[in-house]
Amino acid sequence: MSRPAPRAVGALLVLPALLAGCFAPGADAPAEGEQRLALALAFPPVAALSPFSDDAVLVTRMGVGETLVGLDEAGDPTPQLAESWARVDDRTVTLDLRAGVQFHDGTPLDAEAAAGALTAAAAASPAPRSIDGLGLTARAVDEDTVEVQLAEPDPLLLQRLAAPGLVVLAPAAYGDPAAPDPVGTGTGPFELTELRGASGATLTADADHWGGAPELDGVDVTFPADAAARTAGLRAGELDVAVNLPIAQLPTLTDTEVLSVPLPRLVSLSLDTADGPFADPGLRAAAVAAIDPQPVVDGVYEGRADVAEGLFNDDTAGGADRPAVALPPASDPAGASIRLATYSDRAELPEAAAVLAEQLRQAGFAVEVVVAEYATLETDLLAGTYDAVLASRLYLGDTGDPVGYLAADLTCAGSYNLARLCDPAVDAAVAAAADVADPQERRAAALRAEAAVLSTGAVVPVLHERTHTGYAPSVGGLATDPFDRLLLTAETTVGE
Amino acid sequence: MTAAGRAGPAAPHRPRRAPGLAALRPGLTGLAAVAGTGLLVGALPWLSGDDPARTVLRAREVEREPDPAVLDAVREQLDLPADPVRGTLGWLGHAVTGDLGTSWVSGQPVAEVVPPALGVSLTLTGAAALAAVLLAVLLAGPALRRAADGRGDGGRAVGVLAAALAALPEFVLAVVGVAVLAVGWGLLPTSGFTGPEHLVLPVLALALPAGGLLGRVLTGAVRDIAGEGWVRSWRAAGVPRAAVQGAVARRALTVVVPQVLLLLVGTLGASAVIESVFDVPGLGRVALAAALAQDLPVVQAAVALLVLLGLAAGGVGVLVHRALLGPAGTDGGLSPELPPPAPGAGRWAAGLLAVLLLVVAAGLLRDPDAQDLTDRLAAPSWAHPLGADALGRDVLARFGAGALHSVGLALLISAVVLVVGVAAGLAGRGRAGLADVLNALPAVVVGIAVAAVAGPSLTGAVVAVCLVAWIPLAVHTRTLAAEARASGFHLAARTSGAGRWHLVRHHLLPLVLPPVSRHALLRVPHTALALAGLSFLGLGAGAESPEWGRTLADGVTYLERAPWLVAVPAAGLVLLGVAAGLVRTGR
Repeated sequence: MSRPAPRAVGALLVLPALLAGCFAPGADAPAEGEQRLALALAFPPVAALSPFSDDAVLVTRMGVGETLVGLDEAGDPTPQLAESWARVDDRTVTLDLRAGVQFHDGTPLDAEAAAGALTAAAAASPAPRSIDGLGLTARAVDEDTVEVQLAEPDPLLLQRLAAPGLVVLAPAAYGDPAAPDPVGTGTGPFELTELRGASGATLTADADHWGGAPELDGVDVTFPADAAARTAGLRAGELDVAVNLPIAQLPTLTDTEVLSVPLPRLVSLSLDTADGPFADPGLRAAAVAAIDPQPVVDGVYEGRADVAEGLFNDDTAGGADRPAVALPPASDPAGASIRLATYSDRAELPEAAAVLAEQLRQAGFAVEVVVAEYATLETDLLAGTYDAVLASRLYLGDTGDPVGYLAADLTCAGSYNLARLCDPAVDAAVAAAADVADPQERRAAALRAEAAVLSTGAVVPVLHERTHTGYAPSVGGLATDPFDRLLLTAETTVGE
Repeated sequence: MTAAGRAGPAAPHRPRRAPGLAALRPGLTGLAAVAGTGLLVGALPWLSGDDPARTVLRAREVEREPDPAVLDAVREQLDLPADPVRGTLGWLGHAVTGDLGTSWVSGQPVAEVVPPALGVSLTLTGAAALAAVLLAVLLAGPALRRAADGRGDGGRAVGVLAAALAALPEFVLAVVGVAVLAVGWGLLPTSGFTGPEHLVLPVLALALPAGGLLGRVLTGAVRDIAGEGWVRSWRAAGVPRAAVQGAVARRALTVVVPQVLLLLVGTLGASAVIESVFDVPGLGRVALAAALAQDLPVVQAAVALLVLLGLAAGGVGVLVHRALLGPAGTDGGLSPELPPPAPGAGRWAAGLLAVLLLVVAAGLLRDPDAQDLTDRLAAPSWAHPLGADALGRDVLARFGAGALHSVGLALLISAVVLVVGVAAGLAGRGRAGLADVLNALPAVVVGIAVAAVAGPSLTGAVVAVCLVAWIPLAVHTRTLAAEARASGFHLAARTSGAGRWHLVRHHLLPLVLPPVSRHALLRVPHTALALAGLSFLGLGAGAESPEWGRTLADGVTYLERAPWLVAVPAAGLVLLGVAAGLVRTGR
């Protein structure tokens, strides 16, 4: 027999071996004695960390980029890159920049750079959502004063500047003004020295940071999208910090600490008010009466969430009284057939939907549950294909203000109106809240709008979520931010 | 004599084409396949009715309200073509000059996104295919030794092991591997892909089921070949044992090599789940995310590369098959014979099926839908003999209720794809074609296209699974038929004027059908899983259905807290696989 055939097989088998050089690039080995932290964030960058996308939050959470102002827990503006500010009129504000701040590339933060960053954001298409369509202009008044102006009077002008999309990067970052590059151009405690596609990033401490030199020497970031992968990495000791851990796996974390922070995130059941059985207010009231969130919180969320009293949690309500809700009298479902949709992207929603469906069945509805990936569902959700939608929604948005959520989700003109609600009383209450400037009164007005919404029975609040961050016992100084924007700070440490 | 030179005379009866056209042919096939699949991908937004501006915005910003003004701004950037045909032509024009465009979502050049991901996936699936072949050869080793001794019996234990391995779900192996080897013993990294140590766990997860399947097919082939006349002659003539083993192995490998290539290409764009569990930046995840976001430039580039690779691998498979057959591949050179039936295997299969049926019957007596959250994740007890799931539903009841759905549907699909696969394999003329193209398409692209046309339903899932499940069977049939056509009796029948149908009925089917049916049965558990694998697209059984694949996928999150949630449906699939593997398919 001749031998060419085995040779062909041999060549075939060698092929994968030749390709075995194709691994993802890894981080360089750290120097001896360096204090480095291994961090797993939840979502890989979608746009190479351009702040004009969801990546903006990654930039702020890693401590790479900073905004002109921050938000405190109550949602009021606090100094960050701007040390102080003054309102010139109801659509203009001047901000005095902090002295001695340098970008990671060595250029100083001056008014020109800050105004340039805001101008680029306003010119982006679409602009970051906190300033989209508001006609923002920014100009340098002098060396360290920036003037920011909107086209129309706006009570939230300062809060808008706290949105992660408005991080101020060095002028060099705006080579492509549509997709600024934060590598080596931030101002935060950590310089982004390398971004390896969607697989990882390397951060190095900026010893000259305006807030003082960070305790850590550096950070190695990965972006495992799979929550189980983050949990496993933490348990195996490969990671020091992992964010967005699934509730189902928290009990397996025996040697690590878990930081649970209540979020302004509402899980609610929206009932389609435009057609189908829930166009009848009586049936909506029957559904509201049928739903008991407690078993969902205790069972599916294992007590790691809070039963929702209304759309907003108590932190947002700020101690203000919730006006009474007046529902129409409930009518008998009599086997009315409904389809309840939810999405699998958030791990707990399908289980919660099954529990709620069972409660509705007990009350006399015939329920079919539909679960799919959000991306394949959204068009149908908004078109009213389903009678009920169980969804999870951040209601404080980028500005710490609840009125934007009310307008988008619950008014006639709202673009994310899952309940397809169009109620004059709700529209009036939301419009009234939007005009209030004083933060305290604005919240009271938002609660009046909440009562108007709940009185229609269009939305059944179920619970408010918390975010769960796991960390090794040696880690200290993580930020607890209810807006989920900050995580690593100059104070963050990792021991032995 | 070269391999190619020998391949030529294999089909002397076919009319020869002009040599220029023959040389052009692979190129034209490739171009047509790329254009066709490019058009399919380009038409996805029109098929699904989802506005790409909306899906792209959603990929960039999860919580952003889809205001009309925002959508308009995004749409302007997308340079969305007026219709799919014009869009695809424009894309092809640029692609030919090497310009793959930029991603709609990230704005990065596609050439910097897709090729590196393909490299990573090739490393992973290449290593997995290699490991699967090694495992298959190990599993077939005992059968090979017996064959050289002239015995075609025994080997049931290995057959059971192989069938059990073939029935294991990849994602369960992956999660168990992480829990035991990485977290429990700290031997290996949990995730990432920066060095060879990261290969071990994902390769194990991919290679164990694939190796089991290939091993079973290989063992079957060895046993069939052991019954051929030349083996007896060689042994009678005193040919050394090693030489007989080598020759039998070579003949048996002819069946498996095209299967390995199919597996290699089929896994490239389809292992998104495994890539996600291990955080591997491979093509499966890229294709999945891009397809869901309707990021057409990325999907088109990924699909084009996969399809070209698939066609190339299909062509290589045919060439290797001819090369391995060697001079025997010419007319009259082979003498395949019907193997004697393996004695007693049917009894074992019946026994296992009886056990399965008993458990299912016990489950059917209970209520699969009754929730009781106080029993969440309850361990097996008198009230819940097999434990309770995350909503306190009885696992035994759900196992029973899911059986009919999972097993019945999987058997039905297997029967359909067996008929289609055998028909296509007998008609196919040993050239890379449609099967290779379909095999290379990422499952998510097929799924989205089917969901768009058939609507999100169980029928859609069945269609999507059928669309790809016939391919391995067709290729298997094609390889076996090529050998049967090269046999002396086939030549004799043909020269004495037998009709085409007579040849198929009396000379091809009796040889082809038993091994291919066995192969189809082995794939039943895999089919049951594939049905559930598309549920994230809304395809498949309802969200609360107790179907096995879905309960497995839901239960895997609770692997360590409630192992019974995974163990019960996995055991069901393994039992089913083993029983199917033992069913007698010979005469």
